[in-house]
Amino acid sequence: MPYHRKLSLLVVALLAINLPRSGAAQKPSRPAARVQVTFEEMSPQATKINWIHNNAHSSDRQLPETVGAGCAFLDYDNDGWMDIYLVNSGPSDFFTPTTPLKNALYHNNHDGTFTDVTDKAKVGGGRFGMGVAAADYDGDGYIDLYITNYGPNILYHNNGDGTFTDVTEKADVTALGWSTCAVWFDFDNDGKLDLFVSSFVFYDKSQNPLCTDPSLQRRYYCVPRLFKPQPSRLFRNRGDGTFEDVSRESGIADHPGKSFGAVATDVNNDGLIDLFVANDTMPNFLFLNKGKGKFEEIGLAAGVAYGQSGKPRSGMGVDAIDYDADGWQDLFVANIDQEFFSLYHNERELIFNDQPGEIAPATQLLSGWGLKFFDYDNDGDPDLLLVNGHPDDMIESRIPRVRYREPLLMFENTGGEFKDVSAKSGAIFAKVFSGRGMAVGDFDNDGHLDVLISNNGEAPLLLQNKGANQNNWLGLQLLATKSNPAAVGAIVTWQAGGVTRRRLKTGGGSYLSSHDPREVLGVSTATKIDWIEIRWPSGKVDKLTNLPLNTYVRVLEGSGLITK
Amino acid sequence: MFILLLAATLGFQSVAQESALVQRLEQVATLIRENRLTEAERQLAPIARAAPATMNLLGTIRAKQGRLDEAEALFLQAIRKDEKFTAARLNLANVYLLKRTPEKAIVQLKESLRLQPDNAEAAHELAELLLAEGHFDECIAFIQKQRQSRPISPELLVMLGDAYLGKGAVNEAEEPYLEALEGRLDNAGALLGLAQISRAKGEIREASLYIARIASLTADSQSPEFLYKFALIAMSVGMFDPAQAALERTLKLRPNEPFYLLALGVVWLRRGDLFEADKIFRRVIELQPDNASAQLHLGYVLLNQKKYSEARRWLEKSAQSRTPIPEVFYYLGLVAQEQNDDARAINLFERTIQKLPDYVHARVALGSSYMKLKDYTRARQELEIAVKLDPDEPTAHYNLALLYARLKDTERAQQEMRIIEKLKAKGVAADSGVVVLPPITHPRQN
Repeated sequence: MPYHRKLSLLVVALLAINLPRSGAAQKPSRPAARVQVTFEEMSPQATKINWIHNNAHSSDRQLPETVGAGCAFLDYDNDGWMDIYLVNSGPSDFFTPTTPLKNALYHNNHDGTFTDVTDKAKVGGGRFGMGVAAADYDGDGYIDLYITNYGPNILYHNNGDGTFTDVTEKADVTALGWSTCAVWFDFDNDGKLDLFVSSFVFYDKSQNPLCTDPSLQRRYYCVPRLFKPQPSRLFRNRGDGTFEDVSRESGIADHPGKSFGAVATDVNNDGLIDLFVANDTMPNFLFLNKGKGKFEEIGLAAGVAYGQSGKPRSGMGVDAIDYDADGWQDLFVANIDQEFFSLYHNERELIFNDQPGEIAPATQLLSGWGLKFFDYDNDGDPDLLLVNGHPDDMIESRIPRVRYREPLLMFENTGGEFKDVSAKSGAIFAKVFSGRGMAVGDFDNDGHLDVLISNNGEAPLLLQNKGANQNNWLGLQLLATKSNPAAVGAIVTWQAGGVTRRRLKTGGGSYLSSHDPREVLGVSTATKIDWIEIRWPSGKVDKLTNLPLNTYVRVLEGSGLITK
Repeated sequence: MFILLLAATLGFQSVAQESALVQRLEQVATLIRENRLTEAERQLAPIARAAPATMNLLGTIRAKQGRLDEAEALFLQAIRKDEKFTAARLNLANVYLLKRTPEKAIVQLKESLRLQPDNAEAAHELAELLLAEGHFDECIAFIQKQRQSRPISPELLVMLGDAYLGKGAVNEAEEPYLEALEGRLDNAGALLGLAQISRAKGEIREASLYIARIASLTADSQSPEFLYKFALIAMSVGMFDPAQAALERTLKLRPNEPFYLLALGVVWLRRGDLFEADKIFRRVIELQPDNASAQLHLGYVLLNQKKYSEARRWLEKSAQSRTPIPEVFYYLGLVAQEQNDDARAINLFERTIQKLPDYVHARVALGSSYMKLKDYTRARQELEIAVKLDPDEPTAHYNLALLYARLKDTERAQQEMRIIEKLKAKGVAADSGVVVLPPITHPRQN
């Protein structure tokens, strides 16, 4: 069946999304002095987001209590403004909420406030939620939601009228067990979004061993080492609203893991999207896409599976980016305290070398979950935000100097190396959180990427990027016609101010979360973008010139069309 | 401790005169004991200065004042006047120890014993000094000779055991320790020796039991040397709590002793608390800026905290010492490796291997650097040597697995990973980083 999308999308593609800073393109060059970008916490009073995550914390210390949950930036109603989705716990074999719990969808009111539209949209979840992955899986122009749970997952199809329908059974993507991260990407380059779902350990109420410390006389959360691994799942999109479970034939199911974060990227530049998957207390997986629907796990040979001494670590959040602009995708994985986080530089030939630089000493005592490379200061190169928190709420009684609530960390890319700029990135970096999921997106459409963080058992955090440096930018919404609707695998190259930069659009990344799908291209103080080239996964190439600045535009695959 | 005995010729005719003088000298000795040195010297002034006993007391005052050359001259004069004046000889031996010339002290102690074969104090000091100086055979011969002529003290028996242990004669050491315990079941020195023997025989449980017993016996010990030795042994069997407690006590007794601080830093390191270890090693360097061992340990801590530039700075300082600890080049190699300078790393690992050909970790690191440079033949060579040297070293097996995986020899790669799993099941854990510390050397006991 040919893959098609609604004609209405083409019409929308010709319309400007919004022009919040329409005059900025004509701005003269600004002073060269560096101004530090800061983030400011948006209070629940200001945003009207009053939802709080319930982690179902109990004296039994059931493991799922401590690993949730995720969050997403998505524009579910195509109004050009990022809405917010937050995942909550819910009923399970070990937890019966005393009051009903639900996930939350908040509509962006375009003025910094949000409205809870969960009930109207019918996306409350109602299970023990973990993560969320948002994408237009059926190419109808509306973003759908896949919710991972401890228990059956949920696929919400966006009806295009502000409501969603649970189509999980029909689509056949239930994935029983304990799912964590989900990633939409197109593994077979057929232009349809397939779905990878990470599985954590085999677990049910009866599988919770007694982990105690006699001196504390209380249980603590058991380490995942004690539980059996489970294979993750890969679902192939048939293009008719249903999916085929290809976990076994693709080779994914041959590798049971204790998987958390996953990111889809192309590590060997062969045009086939690979998967990097973090495992907790087991070697990480690097699934190399061999084509014809097959993956080969090459983590060991690539040097990304283990720590230096051959010891598996506790991988949680992951991401991928070409941080040093050498044309090859590098990988990042956050681990638990004392294990250090790894920045794997791609040495080509499918070999990676851990070169965390300043990130390592800064993260020695931290446990990392949500994380994302993004250009926080619009200077054109990717920076890195890390969200941390220890999974064991009793850790402070057990290990000196390690804390349950931990600070966020901001690293600025200073030309292929990362510098810790947390101390000067806003007061929020002096606070501590039980951070888990993290999504990046521009909720106020000012071109400065903001951050949404979901905290375990606490209120979420919405951090507004104050964009003090006023660097110029251009936001792209990539509208695929032949390629997969999320344009995962597209390569955007742009030149401005004599500098050429390149970015591969990855799928997933971070932890249990889903990001603003738009690409914001930072150009620093350049007042003009000379050209942009978009190499789509389909092989089509669009070259764009005469481009505006400081606004979002839509680009339609194959048409080379761009609208202010 | 200086000996204030007056057993020397005073050179006076009348008994009454001599008795009065002895009384005055005893008063001076009391003042010296009470550290009232100025008063003691004032009272000594009118007394016949040429008398050996007077010179001995004045020498003691000078020694206590830190004026060691003058003290030495005074004791030598006293001996010249009365060659049988053993108290002056023993004091002279002490001055030589303070002047860090132990061989001269040994000569004086031997001479004292020739003159007074029954002098238990001299015998004890000589045995202790021979032991501390590593003259194990001479120490054993001396104590055995003493033992043939008379029953010897439990302390000398312990020293005999220690001397046997020092020369690696574990089986011979056991008997004197056990004999020392016959007299005194709470002889901590003997128990410590037996703990070392158990450890040397790989009987870790027995060693731990001895350590626990010693810990309870020596809770109030006032001997920093003993506590230090105990701490090192406790540390070697992984009993960090008693080791730490003992070292903290030694540091109350001698707050600024670099060796004790260094050992405490190593305890923190072994406990995985790099932050405390970092603080302690920096304190040692404050006290002794050129302490190569502290510089090495601090460099090691920083390397494990992945603070490579600072680690390199301290390791390079340590490497510049007159007799650098060979391991320092290995750690510098690791820093170079982390800083992506594998050519320099290889050079440093090869330098380490020249000095320490059996150093498994240097072989693994060298193999790993060759692997990074894609010289798989040499990488394999080094890694295979490493595995031969220590088949239970997980890091060597991991690197071999990595190598085979890169050579597409999946079966052998998996075989190596299975070995790691087996080692893990056996309780052989891979180091979290790259860790092997050089042993801490003992301070000289003087």
